[in-house]
Amino acid sequence: MTETHPAAADGPRHDIRFDETSGAVTIGAGKVVESEFASVAIKLDQDGNSVRLRVEDLRTGRVRFLDALELESLVWLGEGHLTQLLDPSHERWRG
Amino acid sequence: MTAVVPSESEVQEGGSRYDRLIQPARVHGTLYTDPSIFAEELRKIWHKTWVFVGHESEVPQVNDYVRKQLADQDVVMTRDKEGEVHLLINRCAHRGLQVCDDKAGNSSSFRCPYHGWTYRNTGELLGYPYNKGYGGKKQLPLGMGKVARVASYQGFVFGSLAAEGQSLEDHLGAAKGEIDRLVGLSPEGKVSLDAGWLRHKTRSNWKFLAENETDGYHPQFVHGSIFGVTGSPIGELYSDNSTAVTRNLGDGHSENDLRPEFRGFAEPMRWFGTTPDRVPNYVAAMKEAHGEDADRLMIEGAPHVMIFPNLFIAEIQVFNIQPVAVGECVQYATAVQFDGGHELNMRMVSQSIGSVGPAGMLLADDTEMYERNQRGVAMADPEWLDVRRGLHRESVDEDGFTIGTATDETGMRGFWNHYKSLMEAED
Repeated sequence: MTETHPAAADGPRHDIRFDETSGAVTIGAGKVVESEFASVAIKLDQDGNSVRLRVEDLRTGRVRFLDALELESLVWLGEGHLTQLLDPSHERWRG
Repeated sequence: MTAVVPSESEVQEGGSRYDRLIQPARVHGTLYTDPSIFAEELRKIWHKTWVFVGHESEVPQVNDYVRKQLADQDVVMTRDKEGEVHLLINRCAHRGLQVCDDKAGNSSSFRCPYHGWTYRNTGELLGYPYNKGYGGKKQLPLGMGKVARVASYQGFVFGSLAAEGQSLEDHLGAAKGEIDRLVGLSPEGKVSLDAGWLRHKTRSNWKFLAENETDGYHPQFVHGSIFGVTGSPIGELYSDNSTAVTRNLGDGHSENDLRPEFRGFAEPMRWFGTTPDRVPNYVAAMKEAHGEDADRLMIEGAPHVMIFPNLFIAEIQVFNIQPVAVGECVQYATAVQFDGGHELNMRMVSQSIGSVGPAGMLLADDTEMYERNQRGVAMADPEWLDVRRGLHRESVDEDGFTIGTATDETGMRGFWNHYKSLMEAED
């Protein structure tokens, strides 16, 4: 099965492919939220006792799970905090 | 009012360069071919006056952005989190790289792919990787460049690269009323330009397009084929028997005012080549919105106006003309969409595809003329282009505007007068 996720402007950047026989996923599974600057796959993960959001950076493969409380905190995050997170030297490219 | 075409002996020899090249009844061919004149136009017109860039409806949501051109400047039109529209110069403050590559998207911030410098969609620098190299965070007073002044009228967004100058409303002057006419045909009093833009590269100087847009002399010849195929009565509006007028609106703006003809017919929707029974929902919505004035609005129809230097509203389409080089420009075209006018909007998209789409006949015909024009002016003799048509029969209307008949070159002369005043100004 192939799901295609269209990007806003120029069509899809990624096809998400599932191999139904082996269960293998060739690229991050889930809906893709992307722009020309970043590309992440998001998926509701239901392996735990309550549902979480699985967020995968498709360019690096790095995965982060966000639970309901963390997501709620994101919604309420102050503008200044969000801006701080967007500074590329804040966490990712320090030093 | 009667104007006299100057004789050869009256041509000024001692005036400015543009006195010599631009005369009341003729303009010199080098205006379209001389690279030094094109370079001067960029400085004195495109980098100085108000230039149409896009429409607010192209960035409807917070953090939407679209790439645009402002002459030779690659511009990103953004809507920030407060809803304000910005025009950013698409250039990283670090090493000059083009920051945005996509034609459109939604993002609160932009990250340059070269060294990861990240900007808010207002142009403000958010940060740079490995900040110790700059002595820590927030040490650099840099950001993406911005179009110095941004303003919109009825959602039409204009930019001026000059920090100071007249207001947009002063620049638009009488042309504001023509934009209002267009918007008045929306049951909700609003137009959108969100149907997508067609991009047409034209191997011609931009001024040939601007001059042609309100030239009522050419339609029956250049567009005879599409008028014949579609049975359109539009061609007949441009003849010596027509009551329509060409109006110099001042400041380089001009229009073909077809209202006298349509008033004579007194048939709502004739301007669109249709009848009320074929668009009943639109007609009902207009009557609901405008009451007794609805019939007048639907009889008089949409404007045909060229707004200096690059916005052309051709009843059902909007064109955005941007120069590339002395012999090349790009015209972007899109179908007008009236908010609350879904039934009519679909037809306007269809008609636009037929007239200015890739296989459309109207724009292809015009483009053939522009490109032949450009090839022709490269020839040595004669040196001049004639713009005297109707000069002897111009008059002044009740509002003080100079008008000619439907086929006269009154609009062109208005264009050149304004062009000359801008080009003669100090840098």
